[in-house]
Amino acid sequence: MTDYFEVHERDGPARLGEVRLADPLRTPGLVDEVLDDSGSRWPEERDVLDGDESTLTVLPHRAFPAGTDERVADAFATDYPDVEFPSVAVVSRDTAADYGADAYALSEAAGIAGHAAAFVETVLDVRGEIPPDSALYCSGLATPANVATLAYAGVDLFDTDKAYVRGLEGFYLTTDGEAFLEDLDELPCACAACQQSRETFDHEDCAEHNVNALRAELARVRQRIRGGRLRDYVEGQARHEAWLTATFRRLDQQYGYVEQRTPILRRDELLAASDDSLKRVEIQRFADRVTSRYHNRFDGPLVLVPCSARKPYGDSQSHAQFHKTIGYRGHKVSMTSPIGVVPQELELTYPAQHYDSVVTGEWSESEVEFVAEVLARYLDATDYPRHVAHVPPGGYTDIVERAVERCESDVEFEFTVGDHPTTDESLAALDETLEGEERYLKREREHNTVRAIADYQFGAGGAVGEEGAAAGDAFFDHISTGGRYPSLRVNSEGEQWATLVPQYGTLSLTLEGAKRWVDSDVPTKTVEIDGFVPQGSVLAPGILDADADIRVGEEVVVEGPRAFAVGRASMAGDEMVRSTRGIAVDVRHVEER
Amino acid sequence: MSTPDPEVYEEGRGMDAHNAVMREVRSRNDRTYDPREPTRVWLDEDNTPSGVRTSLTIILNTGGCRWARAGGCTMCGYVAESVDGGTVAHEDLMAQVQYCLDHEEERGDEPADLIKIYTSGSFLDEREVPAETRDAVAETFADRERMVLESLPDFVERERLADFTDRGIETDVAIGLETATDRVRHDCVNKYFDFADFEEACAEAEAAGAGVKAYLLMKPPFLTESEAVEDMKRSVRRCADVDGCHTVSMNPTNVQSYTMVEELFHAGGYRPPWLWSVCAVLEETADVDAIVVSDPVGHGSDRGPHNCGDCDDRVQRAVKDFDLRQDPSVFEQVSCDCETTWEAVVEREKSFGMPLAR
Repeated sequence: MTDYFEVHERDGPARLGEVRLADPLRTPGLVDEVLDDSGSRWPEERDVLDGDESTLTVLPHRAFPAGTDERVADAFATDYPDVEFPSVAVVSRDTAADYGADAYALSEAAGIAGHAAAFVETVLDVRGEIPPDSALYCSGLATPANVATLAYAGVDLFDTDKAYVRGLEGFYLTTDGEAFLEDLDELPCACAACQQSRETFDHEDCAEHNVNALRAELARVRQRIRGGRLRDYVEGQARHEAWLTATFRRLDQQYGYVEQRTPILRRDELLAASDDSLKRVEIQRFADRVTSRYHNRFDGPLVLVPCSARKPYGDSQSHAQFHKTIGYRGHKVSMTSPIGVVPQELELTYPAQHYDSVVTGEWSESEVEFVAEVLARYLDATDYPRHVAHVPPGGYTDIVERAVERCESDVEFEFTVGDHPTTDESLAALDETLEGEERYLKREREHNTVRAIADYQFGAGGAVGEEGAAAGDAFFDHISTGGRYPSLRVNSEGEQWATLVPQYGTLSLTLEGAKRWVDSDVPTKTVEIDGFVPQGSVLAPGILDADADIRVGEEVVVEGPRAFAVGRASMAGDEMVRSTRGIAVDVRHVEER
Repeated sequence: MSTPDPEVYEEGRGMDAHNAVMREVRSRNDRTYDPREPTRVWLDEDNTPSGVRTSLTIILNTGGCRWARAGGCTMCGYVAESVDGGTVAHEDLMAQVQYCLDHEEERGDEPADLIKIYTSGSFLDEREVPAETRDAVAETFADRERMVLESLPDFVERERLADFTDRGIETDVAIGLETATDRVRHDCVNKYFDFADFEEACAEAEAAGAGVKAYLLMKPPFLTESEAVEDMKRSVRRCADVDGCHTVSMNPTNVQSYTMVEELFHAGGYRPPWLWSVCAVLEETADVDAIVVSDPVGHGSDRGPHNCGDCDDRVQRAVKDFDLRQDPSVFEQVSCDCETTWEAVVEREKSFGMPLAR
């Protein structure tokens, strides 16, 4: 059972946590000052040190360095005693298991540095075995250049050993890699060690600088996690070393691992500045949900428009013009890199109003390919009477054409833009194209927005286009809305069921709404708790079971013998089940049973 | 190993695992060797109890170590250099000896005083070297001053040594003790005798009028640099304290082909010891009542003991100098910037964070 480690915030596999020592240690962080090693049992038998709450005590162990055969690891594997103080168990890929320790030191770490495949596979395997609320420690590995990527992969604890020794070897480390000290004409740093002339700066100063640079980078990493923006940073920073870029790309290939750990909503901006951004869970998940969960409920034609730099799109001048011209006669869907297509109902939904991307007027092939693929899937998943593309010629029209070729449905687009979508001519052409189309009501738009967000958030009762009602229909078939968009209240049967949260574009349920969810055919995300009435939050130890598909930020129903509640998940379902510490659910409403 | 002691059980499981892995690793080697040629032969100088002497070292190809065929020691690749399939006949072994004599005559000024015969097994094991061959070899070198014969402790018997001592040859048995720490010998090296067996063998050799030269291995797999240094300091002292053991040869591990050490090395989990570590042990144990020498193989290369690349040759020379003179002040004559790196590695490297430097 983890007693002395707690995860406070999650940003993909990276976590912001705390080793709860007498003087708490923030993670990702350095253990140098607090580590006490009982020692290796390879050279001699060791007793467990008498630990206390001021230090992290490494239990007596036999470490298996990189390359140790599984049979040897199994034969010599150490068992670890239960201790009453903060402890570290040493594990390898082959021996990782829940030993009841607060932290786990990965014995291959130093050996597999530089090998992205081995590193990613090992971390994933070990993370799968040790409890999610325990810290993962990699010794002899961290440098200013690699620590952000390592933290991104899910490593919590480091030491200064590698950075320090590398300095003594004459390597000056920075976040952009390393340089021979001898090759530096000036010191590219302003830390205390570097406050001297280049001539007097020796290898020991270099070692000290390396440690300073590592500390600073870790503080930056923690700040990035706090802000939900570590990925944006890693995409750029990791490029200084090939193996680090390979590491985060390989993590992208391990979609399940990263997806499970990625929140479904954030308040923060998401900057998509590279092709790698297209592989992000947030981007992939949005595209996937739009093309598999979302259900279009408008009868009018599809009107494809370009995205706008300003978010949400509705706040932009161009979209105000599109909106005015369409005049409730068509269903506005925005085409955008990197997130694909955004139906008008989901313009607020994370990350549609949160992303920013690099606009140069030219599309890269991977952007064209990604958006075309998503659009093709979208066209196959929807059924419009007409298809209008109000997009500028060039990249946008190329994508539309590619999507039409690729999709299985027989789709023909009417193009309405001559040169630029907001010129009077183009807008007039759009207006003319939509002439005679029936107008829908603003109320219908609001109701459909609520239903579309419900589809996106709660999943379809059946895939779009197949039998079985979408979540929006099964859940919110007879509703009325109050308030002013985007701050909508959702009412039904005389009770408020939900609120549309403008900054996330998601629905927050009331107790009535949660009950309706439980009663509907839409699969409920449920957290089963023990016989208590949660106040404010549900902590992991009180949880008996939780659905595996719960993600951070998702609406969950909390049920126990004494309480029924609704709230937002602070950890993934698997983490709720396997953790013994930490806040699992932020409870919004609760009633005693 | 019949007691139901959990520690012993653990050792048994560990041995089985080591052997299974080593058998598999070794099986990847498909080279075969001519039984009429020795594995290696060379001329050198050695420090002996009677002083520095010219030496002829022979690695006799005997079909190799029987223990290695079961799996064997984690660092030893010599079995890979043995003859395919089993025992080498008397005539072939004698052909190898003749090959070495020819080598000596070609390269040396006069016959070497010291003859050292290693088999990567046990020269005194009669299943490896028949009694007939042993007697013939003793006869061949009867005119030399001193001989060193490699053997595991089990085969050190005064009757077998008598072939040599009776001919008036100063005789030493070279025993690959590897470390005085049983736990390290068993679990890291996978060599299965105890320090007590070594002590018995020393007593038996002494009774036969022979001496013992203990071979130690610095930094078997799974040890950190500091653990390896400590293990060697302790081992040199313990060996020197045993009657009959007059010489200790303390040798850093090198990465040999088709071994577990090589598997670890390739995966990034093993670094051979620093030459500074060798110096540190020799310097610190210079006061013991025995000759302590070291013969680093492959110094300066990634697969051998090495420092930073700049100082390896100089440090190696200091070690060789120490071998001949036993004067620890030779180590004061060499220095390099990388000594501070080595010190930091010794101080900081953790068993779960190694290797800390390459």
